[in-house]
Amino acid sequence: MSSDVILVIVIGAALAFDFTNGFHDTANVVATSISTGAARPSVAIAAASLLNFAGAFISISVAATVANDVVDAAAITPTIVFAGLIGAIAWNLVTWYFGLPSSSSHALIGGVVGSAVAADGFHVVIAEGLLGKVLIPAIIAPLLAFLAAGISIGIAYRIIGKQRPGIVSRGFKYGQVLSGGMLALAHGTNDAQKTMGVITLALIANGSLGAGADPPLWVIASSAAAIAAGTYSGGWRIIKTTGTRIIKMDAAQGFTSQGAGAAVILASTHFGFPLSTTHVINGGVMGAGAAKRLSAVRWGVAGNIVVAWVLTLPAAAIIGAVAYAVTSIFGNGAVGPVVVTVAALGAILAAFVRRAQRGAPVTVQSG
Amino acid sequence: MRMPGFAEIVETKELLQTVVFASVAGIGVTAIFSMAIWGVARFVDLSQEDRRGAAAAAAGVAAVALLAVAAAIVIGVIVMTSK
Repeated sequence: MSSDVILVIVIGAALAFDFTNGFHDTANVVATSISTGAARPSVAIAAASLLNFAGAFISISVAATVANDVVDAAAITPTIVFAGLIGAIAWNLVTWYFGLPSSSSHALIGGVVGSAVAADGFHVVIAEGLLGKVLIPAIIAPLLAFLAAGISIGIAYRIIGKQRPGIVSRGFKYGQVLSGGMLALAHGTNDAQKTMGVITLALIANGSLGAGADPPLWVIASSAAAIAAGTYSGGWRIIKTTGTRIIKMDAAQGFTSQGAGAAVILASTHFGFPLSTTHVINGGVMGAGAAKRLSAVRWGVAGNIVVAWVLTLPAAAIIGAVAYAVTSIFGNGAVGPVVVTVAALGAILAAFVRRAQRGAPVTVQSG
Repeated sequence: MRMPGFAEIVETKELLQTVVFASVAGIGVTAIFSMAIWGVARFVDLSQEDRRGAAAAAAGVAAVALLAVAAAIVIGVIVMTSK
């Protein structure tokens, strides 16, 4: 009975994480379309939400990686998964609070690794999986998006350089409808799967599924719905950073950064690499800006984003480890997860109140 | 404890395929779409100059390029769903 209560709390926390993932990462999908005027904000977010939902059903390669290749599934308990999710949600909210587009994916993986290490020691971490499937692709993917977007925008400017700016701008804005759609689909395939992987991990740990099992349909559907709902809610604070604060972009740059980002994410998803869509699209935006003029990129903003990226895995791991330590004070039953959930909800409420008191939230009108 | 080598840790072939596929798709689609915009822009200019043959050729370039972009998107989705 107690384990079933914990499982329900874990699934609730996983879906809450998925919601914050969509909310936090909406910027990745829509910021460039909104900032170049290619799509109205409400339309861009609604379309991104629908395509995120659809994308979640396309593949389960990434879910399998998260469930089986990062930590030893045999050592995982639902309480470890719960503490890892608390670490990921907390880091997502901290970076949202400061308007930093950090990686939800690395927050999730860091949180689970941290709580697993706190519970059982370092031997439960599958070093090959963590390095080969997460850390190395994490370095390569944004660099690849940076280079692809930079080369693409150079080619695009050479091809359309002498044509009428009005036609060129309109053309690339229409193109952004396509590239933004592909990016939203790619985001749904890669990011929703991380939650599927974590819920599957919890179900395996609870004995509800056999080791190595694929996510059941209800897990896929609920993950898709949660990320779509989060995306629809929109994270305007981060949309502003990605869409206007890194570079002042034109429609061609918006198209190339989205196109390069979508290509990298789709290719990585196909091979089961759970990369950060945030890193990829921001790498693309920086590449599209730097290729035009190095000084076009606001390197101070870019530097803050890079620092947040570097901190994400260890910070989420530490929060996950602390969450596990606090949870385990109350024993192995459901009391610990309930107490930590209540405390986390209280902290989230306090953060929202504090943010509201310090200034109006960044919205579609002000952003 | 034996430390695994780099080649054992990294799925080199799959990572390389990711790099190649993403580069070709990302750069190729942008180049082809830029050709489509070039074709449309030239079609408008040449039509206004009443050079119908050249305008038709520019429109043809735009149409072929747009079809190629559509094909690339379909292939991308098929590749992604095939695993």
